Amino acid sequence: MNRRKFLTHSAGSVAGLAALSGCIGNTENSGQTLTVAAYSSFTGDGTAGNWLKSSFESKNPETTVTFQTTENGVNEFIQRRSQDAPIDADLFVGLNTGELVRADEQLDDSLFAATGDRIDGIEEVKSDLDFDPAGRVVPYDTGYISLVYDEDEVDEPATFDSLLEPQYENELLTQNAEGSDPGRAFLLWTISQKGPDGYLDYWNQLADNGIQILSDWGTAYEAYQDEEASMVVSYSTDQVYYHGDDVDISRHQVGFLNDQGYANPEGMAQFADANNPELAREFMSFMLSEEAQAEIATRNVQFPAVEGVDPGGDFGEFALEPPEAVTYSYDDLVGNVGGWIDEWARQIVSN
Amino acid sequence: MGPPDREQLTMRAKASRLLPVGIAAMLTTLVVVFYYPVGSVLSSAISAGGRLTLDPIVAVLGDPFYTGSAHSLVTAPASLPRRFAAWVNAGMPAVDFGLFGFTAYQALLSTIVSVAVGLPGAYLLARFEFPGREFLRSVTILPFVMPSILVAVGFLAMFGRSGVVNDLLATVGLGPIRLVFTLEIVILAHAFYNAPLVTRLVTAAWESVDTRSVETARTLGASPLRAFRDVTLPQLVPAILTASVLTFIFTFMSFPIVLALGGLQLATVEVWLFSRVQNLALVEAATLGAIETALSLGLIYVYLRFEATQISTHGKEHVRSRLPLFGDWRSISDPRRLGLFVYCLVAAVLFVGPILSLVIESLTTPDGAFTLDYYAFLFAQQASTAVGTIQPLAAITNSLLFGFGALVLAVPMGVLVSVVATHEGRGSRVAEALLTAPLAVSGIVLGLGMLRTLVFGITVFGHRLTVTGPIAIVAAHAIAAYPFVTRNVTPALSGIDDRLVDAARALGADRPTVLVDIELPLIAPALIAGAAFAFAISIGEFDSTVLLAEGVDSATMPVALERYTANRSLGPNLGPATAMGTVLLVVTTGSFMLIDRTGRRWER
Repeated sequence: MNRRKFLTHSAGSVAGLAALSGCIGNTENSGQTLTVAAYSSFTGDGTAGNWLKSSFESKNPETTVTFQTTENGVNEFIQRRSQDAPIDADLFVGLNTGELVRADEQLDDSLFAATGDRIDGIEEVKSDLDFDPAGRVVPYDTGYISLVYDEDEVDEPATFDSLLEPQYENELLTQNAEGSDPGRAFLLWTISQKGPDGYLDYWNQLADNGIQILSDWGTAYEAYQDEEASMVVSYSTDQVYYHGDDVDISRHQVGFLNDQGYANPEGMAQFADANNPELAREFMSFMLSEEAQAEIATRNVQFPAVEGVDPGGDFGEFALEPPEAVTYSYDDLVGNVGGWIDEWARQIVSN
Repeated sequence: MGPPDREQLTMRAKASRLLPVGIAAMLTTLVVVFYYPVGSVLSSAISAGGRLTLDPIVAVLGDPFYTGSAHSLVTAPASLPRRFAAWVNAGMPAVDFGLFGFTAYQALLSTIVSVAVGLPGAYLLARFEFPGREFLRSVTILPFVMPSILVAVGFLAMFGRSGVVNDLLATVGLGPIRLVFTLEIVILAHAFYNAPLVTRLVTAAWESVDTRSVETARTLGASPLRAFRDVTLPQLVPAILTASVLTFIFTFMSFPIVLALGGLQLATVEVWLFSRVQNLALVEAATLGAIETALSLGLIYVYLRFEATQISTHGKEHVRSRLPLFGDWRSISDPRRLGLFVYCLVAAVLFVGPILSLVIESLTTPDGAFTLDYYAFLFAQQASTAVGTIQPLAAITNSLLFGFGALVLAVPMGVLVSVVATHEGRGSRVAEALLTAPLAVSGIVLGLGMLRTLVFGITVFGHRLTVTGPIAIVAAHAIAAYPFVTRNVTPALSGIDDRLVDAARALGADRPTVLVDIELPLIAPALIAGAAFAFAISIGEFDSTVLLAEGVDSATMPVALERYTANRSLGPNLGPATAMGTVLLVVTTGSFMLIDRTGRRWER
């Protein structure tokens, strides 16, 4: 190794760090720029984010849409706010009830602005999906948590109590409620069925019957595909991916426990100190338009939030809706959800 | 080497002035990219509102969930003798030490298994010659760069209910065995990651065992086993212990693989810490991280004290020649070779199996049919211009550039720390332990710290400064990597005969000149081993990279892979990720053959 080279490199790194400091974000467009914060898989080839960007830009030629994707979701913005770090985005896309509760519990002033009636089409949003009583978060789609099971291996799991039967021993995979959306939804669903006083006891019995709690949906579904178990907590849209003559549909049966599915609506909200609040609301209105709702549904493989939208295609044909949708409202969760999940995790780990 | 000409002399004069500059630059980088971010998080474990407090630590250590029976050490120390007596009277039943106890227990088991699996590999690579040895040595690095999601895929395919191992057992009428979701498979996965570390570190030590001492022992009538026990083994002990300590620390702080293969009931402290961060319970997270770091640093310090007493001076001129693995007909019945053959079968199941399964998965649909769709997906990503798309070629280029940059930074950093460590003086062990801290800090704590300082920005004189982008990524990689350089270089550097150094100093050479002209060439194998680790750490790094990359332009192969796992365009499967994983393995293998070859040329 040439020593001159290494010395200039190590000295250069510090100079480079300094030079690099504070040079993020320059816009080349003379018009306005809307910055949308989202989780990373919202953008990229063929995604809903990408379609929204090009459609919105073609309708508003003066506007450029940029995405700010984060690995930590809304937590990054909660921490920015609590540390007085700048928030450069105008709106956040991909918020669920639990995350909104966490944001409100952590911060004195709301991270998001009440936009409610200033969004076109908001009155068409399905009322049972509306989860923010303060009118800040507007739902744009929803998933329904259900079981996916193999009908060749097990009978249809009909009720929560039936999951404790011997035929389902070591056959159910779910996800860690502390880090995974479907895992959290499944836990909340059991709490809604067994009550805050009874769910820990129910989970003790589930654990005795060999339920496995993996890190996230992808890991659990991979283990299900590798036939480690015959049931997995997943979404009711499973058959959108698996249908047709060349697919063995027996392994892609959707089971609605107690004839229910747990709704996990995703919402969007304008940041309280957005630079372009009007543009943000325009974009939110656009996301509720019939055209956008159908595109979001098919590209995200989630149900539209607006009444009467038919996404058509494979989604319209193969996505299953539960007979009854259940979900906890914001008011149910606030002050409770943290404790429920914490006690649950401690019990699982301690056993 | 002829007498130095004028130009060389001027360069040396410059070098001696630049050495302090290099040290200053290294410390600055360390403070900016490591100590400050980590300190910003961990400080909340011991301070509240600007005042020092022990409350968070007492709260954790006094909670039976975390420390089990040991919690009364904190909550009711006076009752300890009585409790102890009651425990003895009860017939000394198994004691539960809570989450920390379980985490240490699985780390200990993982370390034992990793060493047991790694040592025969070192014996094979160091003592035997066979076709493909160099290649095999190069690919022992591969587990280092494998993202946990892919290890999980490979392990399910090998050890799952309907995996290869159970299929093989069924053919001889055994099984099936249920390994998935057990502690056993988590330990096997830890061995998959860490046994190669043992193998690499011990192979390097074994190759530099002085042949003369072994031959002397044999001449004096010692059996081969006795010669090994009395002469060779003591020279391997530092490497074996280094590898054990590192393995224990890594598996103590193990995180994603535990929940992917074992499930939440086998959670480690790090899994719990991650949950605390996600719930923004940051004081509790910081406290867990601080306790982990204190335990790890303490272990490193105790080990370094021990290592300092172990290293003996040796030269590298008398290296033993390797035995042919496939000799004449008698070698078939040789117990050593038979043992190695059995070992190779085990290694094939544990290492080759999961990696090969991954490659097969990348060519197979969920229904088991052959497909090239996942590679077509990679080409489609390459061709796409959609915003937010990570192009595979850009990710490969970034990975190689960052890897090279990290190597170029980490090697001098690691050598500087080794120079400090081998310096005979008070506190040099403490200094090395503190400078080895990047090994001892939870990746989640570092990531959180970087987010809150470098990414959010720091206000300096009214300006908000952020430190992100490619240069910050390379600096972060180098800091994660240089302790591996140090761990390779320090033992080698202390093994150099002091008389050589004294002679050079007496002839007028200054400290940097001695280091560069005399010491470094003597420890070339250790330097190359360290450089290879540095490159591998950089290639495999995910947590800091994804935070510091601004958008997709600085994405690396592991970041691309992670993004492809969330892509549902080919349905909910990991096919695109396994294809990218195969690319990652191929690129890494190629790079390592190149590094090893370049290294050997330089050694000569």
